[in-house]
Amino acid sequence: MATQIVMDQTGDTRHEFDPGNAEALARAERRFRELTGAGFTAALRTGPGEVTRIKSFDPTAQETLFYPRLVGG
Amino acid sequence: MIAAVWLRAPARARLHALRELYRRFFGENTPDARGRRLLAEWLSPAQRAQFEEHRYFDVVGCDTGKSYRIHYGTAANVHEIDGAGHATMGWCFVPSGFLVPGDVMLAQKIALETDENGALALANRFPAATHSEHFYRRPF
Repeated sequence: MATQIVMDQTGDTRHEFDPGNAEALARAERRFRELTGAGFTAALRTGPGEVTRIKSFDPTAQETLFYPRLVGG
Repeated sequence: MIAAVWLRAPARARLHALRELYRRFFGENTPDARGRRLLAEWLSPAQRAQFEEHRYFDVVGCDTGKSYRIHYGTAANVHEIDGAGHATMGWCFVPSGFLVPGDVMLAQKIALETDENGALALANRFPAATHSEHFYRRPF
């Protein structure tokens, strides 16, 4: 199972999906586009403590994290 | 009187155990606790150890190689630090939406490690000595 983790006021909301299921994968890609379109940043873990940002949906990603647009505090 | 204390003790012990269970269950499922758990999962082993000991961790900016210290908090919690670990400048930038500290800190880590210049471009700067260490060490 792959997971999309979306930061929110509850801490986070997790969406799990089976990457081998075409319909679930399409839903995950749609969620990716909606979130990034709304200003969320998507990131992947590439190693212990190592992260990379992604701009397009990666169907092989096991875990994708989304955080809302950054603003000056 | 001794008998009364003896009779009441088990009930009190049960109540105490129940309270402890309630505190642990809900304490570990609060947004704050979830945020801290997510943060811990995404930190490097060294950052995690540093956070557990000091309630802050250091990151290296991907564009300049400068070091930043991210303290536990949701605002005015990022400091640029020198080689000795002294704060030289404060940078305030946060994800929108009133997130919990763990989430805010993780977003700040990712931003500095993957798009340092972009994060600093929108951040507000503040003097390094705005808050004392005590301010950042308040309990979870």
